[in-house]
Amino acid sequence: MKLKVFAQMQWVMFVVLWFCFYSVMAQNHYTELAYPELRDIQIPVVDQVTLSNGMQLFLLEDHELPLIRLSARIRVGSMYEPANKIGLAAITGSVMRSGGTASRSGDAIDEALENIAASVETQIGLDSGSASMSVLSKDLNVGLSILADILMNPSFPEEKIELAKLQWRSAIARRNDRANGIAGREFRKLIYGADSVYARHMEYATLDNIVRDDLVDLHARFFHPNNTMLAIWGDFDASKMSQKIEQIFQDWKTQDVPSIPIPEVHYEFRQTINVIPMEGVNQTHIYMGHIGGLRNDPDYFALSLMNRILGSGYTSRLFKEVRSRQGLAYAVFGSFSAAYEHPGMFYVGCQTHAKSTLQAIQSMKTEVTKLTESEVTAEELELARESFLNAFVFNFDSKGEIVNRLMTYSYYGYPLDFLQKIKEGIEKVTQADILRVAKQRLNADKMQILAVGPSQDFRDALATLGDVNEIDIAIPSTASSP
Amino acid sequence: MKAYIETTIQVGVMVVIMSVLATSQSLSDFDKKVHEFTLDNGLKFIIVERHEAPVVSFQTYADVGSVDEVKGITGMAHVFEHMAFKGSKSVGSKDYEKEAKALTEVDVAFLNLKKELRQGSDPDRLAELEKLYFKAQEEASKYMIHDEFEEALVRAGGVGLNASTAPDATRYVVSLPSNKLELWMLLESDRFLNPVLREFYKEKNVVMEERRLRTENSPRGRLFEEFLALAYKAHPYGEPVVGHMSDIETMTRREAEEFFTKYYSPANLTIAIVGDVYIDEVRSLAQNYFGRIPSRAKPEPVETVEPPQMGERSVVIKTSAQPSVLIGYHKPSIHHPDEVVFDAISDVLGVGRMSRLYRSLVVNKKIATRASAFHGFPGNKYPDLFTFSVVPSRGHTNQECIEAIDVEIERLKTELVSNVELERAKTRSRASLIRALSSNRGLARQLTFYEVVTGDWRNLFRQLDALDQVTPQDIQRVAQEYFVVTSRTVATIETQKPKG
Repeated sequence: MKLKVFAQMQWVMFVVLWFCFYSVMAQNHYTELAYPELRDIQIPVVDQVTLSNGMQLFLLEDHELPLIRLSARIRVGSMYEPANKIGLAAITGSVMRSGGTASRSGDAIDEALENIAASVETQIGLDSGSASMSVLSKDLNVGLSILADILMNPSFPEEKIELAKLQWRSAIARRNDRANGIAGREFRKLIYGADSVYARHMEYATLDNIVRDDLVDLHARFFHPNNTMLAIWGDFDASKMSQKIEQIFQDWKTQDVPSIPIPEVHYEFRQTINVIPMEGVNQTHIYMGHIGGLRNDPDYFALSLMNRILGSGYTSRLFKEVRSRQGLAYAVFGSFSAAYEHPGMFYVGCQTHAKSTLQAIQSMKTEVTKLTESEVTAEELELARESFLNAFVFNFDSKGEIVNRLMTYSYYGYPLDFLQKIKEGIEKVTQADILRVAKQRLNADKMQILAVGPSQDFRDALATLGDVNEIDIAIPSTASSP
Repeated sequence: MKAYIETTIQVGVMVVIMSVLATSQSLSDFDKKVHEFTLDNGLKFIIVERHEAPVVSFQTYADVGSVDEVKGITGMAHVFEHMAFKGSKSVGSKDYEKEAKALTEVDVAFLNLKKELRQGSDPDRLAELEKLYFKAQEEASKYMIHDEFEEALVRAGGVGLNASTAPDATRYVVSLPSNKLELWMLLESDRFLNPVLREFYKEKNVVMEERRLRTENSPRGRLFEEFLALAYKAHPYGEPVVGHMSDIETMTRREAEEFFTKYYSPANLTIAIVGDVYIDEVRSLAQNYFGRIPSRAKPEPVETVEPPQMGERSVVIKTSAQPSVLIGYHKPSIHHPDEVVFDAISDVLGVGRMSRLYRSLVVNKKIATRASAFHGFPGNKYPDLFTFSVVPSRGHTNQECIEAIDVEIERLKTELVSNVELERAKTRSRASLIRALSSNRGLARQLTFYEVVTGDWRNLFRQLDALDQVTPQDIQRVAQEYFVVTSRTVATIETQKPKG
C-alpha cells in the first residue's frame, strides 16, 4: 500500500510541477499579445526646386552615412523608337556611359570612377530614361561633373556602339535558352500584339539598321534640362546642393521637347491556347491572362487588395492552393498589374511538372473564377488590409525610397501625395467592392493561355480546352548574323 | 548568461562605423555600440540599436547547410528550411493531439507506398496504396490551420519574410514594424522549440519543382551542379544544395526531425536584431522566449577533407543552349591567412569596369559578354574554389575564353599587380562595406556571417585592415601557389543543334 501511495504522490507532484512549469514557462498564444502603439513616423520633407533651365530637383538630406546618391529621369523611351530600329533607345542609354563625352573617353571615366569606388550609370527603358550616381560625399564634385558631362555631351564613338550591338546580338542568341524568359516575352506579345511598343523586342535586323546618327539624333531630341528630373539624397546641405547643380548644368539650355502621345492599347478579350515546345526540359512554364489597367483608375485600391488576396506572397489564394495544398509549383503568382501611363497586364502563372500542366491551369483558372463569383471573406480582406497598413511604415524606412517615389509620381503626372491616397483608398475597400471590380475587370473564360515546355507531354491535355496554337520562336537570321 | 556589453547609444551607430572605417583604433568604440549576449542554452544574440525609423530587421543564422548532409538525404537542410514555415504545436493546428496521430498515419502510408514502388510489381496494389496515402494526407489536413505562421507575420506588417539555404548556412529573415518585437520573439522561438513538420510530403513536391526550375531546366543551373560534382570527390561541397531528385523523393519526416534535433540546437543558432529596439527589452524577451529551448550539444563540423586533386578535370554538357564556362581552382577556406589575398585577386580580376577580365575579354578581345571571378563558392567554412565564370559572346567559343583567362592567370604569376589596381581594390572594399551597412537587414546579415563563420563579428571591420597589408608580392605568390593546372576543374556548355 505504501508503495502505491508513494506512486500516487509522485503523480500528483508531477502534475503540480508540470502545472507550475507550464504557467511560468508557457507564453501567451501570439493572438493574445498586446502591442505598444507604433511611434509616429517622421516623414522628412523633400525640397523641390526648379532650376532656371527647367530641370526639376528633389533633394533630401540624410547624414547617417558619408554617401551621396542621385537618380535622374529623362522623358524618353524605347516606345518612341522606330519599328525598324528596335534597340536604339537601349543602345543609346548604354553607350552614353560607355562611350564617354567630348572631353573624356569612356575608359577615362571608368578609371576616374573606379579609383574612388563611385558609380555613374545610364540607361533607357520603355517609357523613361534614367541615370544614377553613387559617391562617397567627399567625391561629390568628381561624380557630379562626370554625370553632367554624360547627360549633356555624350560622344557615341563607333567602337562602343559596335560593342553594345555585339552584346545585344549575344543576348538575342541566348534568349531561347530558358523557358522563363521565353514565357514572359511571348506572353507580352500575346497580350499587346507582337508589334506593340509594349511587347516588341529587338532582332538582328533591327540592330543592323541602327547607325551612330540615330543615337546622336535621339539624344538631341530628348536630352534637355526641361525634360529631366533629378532626385538627390545623402550627406549634403540642400540649398548648397541646388546651387551646385545649377552651376554644373548652366550650359544646358532649355529646348523644345517633343510631345509624343502615349501609344494606346486596343484589346479584344478572347481565349487562346498557345504552346511553345522546348527540348530537354521536364517542366512547363505557364502564363495566362488578359489586359490589365492603369494606376490612376479609381478602382486601383480595390484591385490592389484583390491582388494581395489572389496572388501576392505566402498568404495568397494561389500560393495556398497551387503550392501548399497541391504541391504543384515552387513559384506561383498572379496580379492585375497597373502601370502609370498604359494598361498593365492581368496574369496568373506558375511552373509545374509537365504532367501537371492541365491541372495547374485549371486550378489557377478556378481561383480567377472564384473572385468573379463570390465575395472574398471578411477575414481575407482584413488580412490583406491589415498587412498593407501595418507594413506602410516600410515606405519610409529609407530616404532614397522617399525622394524617388516623389520624383516618379511627378514624372508620370500623379499627385505627389498619391501614396497617402492609396492608403486612404485601401482603408475604405469593402468585400462588395472587390467582387464588383473582379466582375468588371477579370474574365476567367477569356484568358490567353501560354505553356512553354515539353509540349509532347501536355499538348493533348490542352486540346481539351480548345484549339492549340503553336508559336514559332526561331530567331530570324540576317546576312550579318547568320 | 555570458557577458554582454551595454551602453547607451548617444551617437548614431553609423557615425561610429564611419570612424571605424577611418581608423581601426576606433573599433573599440564600435564595440560599445553592438550588444551581445548568450543565453544559458548557448543561443547567441547580436543587437544593434538604430532608431531612425520604427522598423526592425531580424536574421536567424543556423550554422547548418547542405554540407552537413550525408549521402541519401541530400537536400535535407533545404527541405527543413521549407518546413520551418509550417508552424508548431500551437501555431498551425486546430487540435495537435489528433493531428499528430494523423501525421503518423501519413508517414506510414508514405513508407508503404515507397516500399511498393521499390518492388514495383503490382499496379493495383500501387494504386490502392496511393489512394490510402492521399486519404491520410487529407485526414491530417483537417486538423491544420494552413499557413498560419506566415499569416501572423504578414498581418503584423512583416516584409521580406524569407529563408535561404546554402552549403554553409540556413538563414531566416524578416523585417517588422518595431512594435511587433514580441510577436517575432514568440513565433521565431516557437519555430525552433516545437516545430511540426506538417505537409512534409506535399512540400517535397514543391521542392522537386524548385529543383526542376533552378537546376534541371536551367542550362547554367546544370552547369554549376556538374562543376561542383567534378571539383569535389570527397567533401560534401560537391553535392547540390537542393539535393538529388531521388533523395528528395524518398526522404521521410522522421529523417527531417532527426536532422532538426541534431543541427538546430540553440548553440548552433545566432540571431542578429538591428533597428528600433532597446537592448534591455530585447534581452528580457529573448530570455523569456528563446530561453525555453532546451540546450543540446553543438554538432560536430564536417571532418571529410578533400584530397589534393591529381590532375585537371573537365566536363562538357551538350545541349541546345548557348556556350558557357566555369573554371575552378581549389583554395583554402576563409580561415587561412591567404583569404584576404584572394579577396584582392577577386577584385583586381573581376570587379568593375576597370577589372582585368572585363577589360581583356569583354572590351578588348570582345569574346565575352560577362566575365567574373569570385571565391567563397560553394561556401566559406571549408576549402572552396576560386572560380571564373565566363559567358562567350555570339560567335565566340568557350576555348577562346579559357585561353584568355589563362593569359590573365599567367600575368598574375609573372608580373606584379600595379599599386593603382591594388589601391583601387582597397578603396572599393571600404566603400562597399559602408554601402552594405546602410540597411538594417544588410547589417544583420553581415554581423551574423562574420560572427558564425569567423568566430567574431568584429572581423567584418578587421578584414579591411588585413586587406590593407596585402602587397603585390602576396598576390604573385598566391597565384603561383594555387592557380596550377592539376588543381583545375573546367565545366562547359557546348551548343548542339536540336535534331530535325
